[in-house]
Amino acid sequence: MGAISGWWDDFFWGSLVVVEIFFVALILTVLFGLIGAGAKLSKSRVANAIASGYTIVFRGTPEILVLLLFYFGSAVALTAIAQVFDPEVKFVDFPPFWAGSLAIALIIGSYATETFRGAFLGVEPGQIEAARALGISNLQTFIYVRVPAMWRLALPPFGNHMLSLIKDTALIAIIGLEETLFVAEQATATTGKPFTMFILVGAIYLGFSTIITLSVMALEKYANRHLAVGR
Amino acid sequence: MRFIDVALIIDSIPRILMGIGLTFQLLFLSLTLGTALAIILLLLRISGRWYLAAPTMVYIYIFRGTPILVQIFIIYYGLPQLEFIRESIFWPILREPFGCAIIALSLNTGAYVSEIFRGGVLGVDRGLKEAGAALGLSVTQRFIYITSPIAIRLCLPAYSNDVVSLMKSTALASTITLLDMMGIARTIVAETYAPYEIFLSVMVIYLIITWVIQRTFGWIEKRMSQHIRSEA
Repeated sequence: MGAISGWWDDFFWGSLVVVEIFFVALILTVLFGLIGAGAKLSKSRVANAIASGYTIVFRGTPEILVLLLFYFGSAVALTAIAQVFDPEVKFVDFPPFWAGSLAIALIIGSYATETFRGAFLGVEPGQIEAARALGISNLQTFIYVRVPAMWRLALPPFGNHMLSLIKDTALIAIIGLEETLFVAEQATATTGKPFTMFILVGAIYLGFSTIITLSVMALEKYANRHLAVGR
Repeated sequence: MRFIDVALIIDSIPRILMGIGLTFQLLFLSLTLGTALAIILLLLRISGRWYLAAPTMVYIYIFRGTPILVQIFIIYYGLPQLEFIRESIFWPILREPFGCAIIALSLNTGAYVSEIFRGGVLGVDRGLKEAGAALGLSVTQRFIYITSPIAIRLCLPAYSNDVVSLMKSTALASTITLLDMMGIARTIVAETYAPYEIFLSVMVIYLIITWVIQRTFGWIEKRMSQHIRSEA
C-alpha cells in the first residue's frame, strides 16, 4: 500500500473528474431521454422513426465504439475545418471531457428514452383528463402532472442507468481524460504496482456506486412518501 | 473536406470480419462460463444459509459496482504483480490476454445473470411450489421440475438483454491488445485515420449481431410460452 502514498492527490483529482463527468452526462442523459421519449410518444411518424433509430443504434453498439467514433470523428472534422482557415494546422481535437460526456450521455440517454416512455405511459389517463377538465394548458399539465407522476415510476430503472453512467466514465480514460483509471495507468508506469493501483480504482468506483444506490433508495422513499401508510 | 471513402470501406470490411471469430469466441465462452457461475451463485444465494448467501452477495455487489474495464485491467495488468499468481497453475491462462478477457467477462456477467435468475426464481408462484410439496416432491425435485422451467421463461427477456451487453463488452478486449473486430477496427483507424468509414462499418456489424441475438431470444421466448398463448 506504500506505493500509493505519492499518488493520493492525483487520485483525488481523478475522482473529481469522474464526479464532474457524471453530473454533466447525467443532465444530458435526462435531456436526451426526455426528448427521445417525447419523440417516441408523439404522433409524428418522422419523430417516431428518428427516436427508434436512435435507441436501436445506441443500445446495440459497444460503448467504446461510440466513444472512439465521437472522439476521432470530431477530431477529423475539426481538423478539416481548421485547415480551411489555416493549412498549417495538423491536428485539432474535441476535448475528451466533452466528447466523452456527450458519447456516454447519448448511450445512457437511449436507455432512458425507453424508461421515460414507459413511465409516461404508466401515468393514469384520469389525472391528465382531470387537468384538462380544469383548463390547465398542455405545457402546465406536462410540468405539474405528467412529470411528477412519471418520475416516481421511472426512478428504479433510472437508478440503474445512473450506475451504468458512472461505470462508463471509466471508458473515457481510453481517449486520454485524466480520471482515476488514467491516473492508475500513469502510477503503474512509475511504481510498477498495477494490482494496487487498479484495485484502488475499483474501490473508488465501488464507493461511487454505493453512494448512487443509497441516494436512489432515499429518493424512492421521498417520491413514494404519499403512498406510505399513515402511522 | 474529404468525403466518405467507399473504396476504403469495401477494403476494410473483410479485414474487420476476420475478427468476428474472436468476438464470437469471447461471447460464447464467457456466456457459458458466466451462466454456469450464475447458477452456482444463485444456488448459494437461495440456499437459506447466511454463510453461503453473504459471500455471494458481496461478490455480486463488487462485480456490479465496478466498471468492467477496471475488472479487465485488474486481471490482465494487475494480477501479474502478485508473486503467488505467477507461480500458480493458472499462470498459463492469466498470462494470455485471451484468458484474462474470458475470465473477466465471465466473472462480470456471472454476477449480473445470477441476479436475473434470482428475479425469475422469486417470480414463480408460491402456490405451484406448495402444490408440488403436497404431491410429495422433495425440495430438489420441486426446484428442478417446477421452479426452474417457469423461472427460465420469466427471466428470458432480461437474459437476452444481458447477452447483448456481454456482446458489447467483448469490444473492451481490444484494450488489452486482443484483435477482435473492435481491435482490428482500431488498428485500421490508426493506419488510415479514417474513423467515420471504419467505425461506422463496425457499428453496422455489431448492430446486425445485436439484432440476431434479439431475434433468436424472441423466437425461443415465443416457443416457450406457446401454452400460454393457446389458452388466450
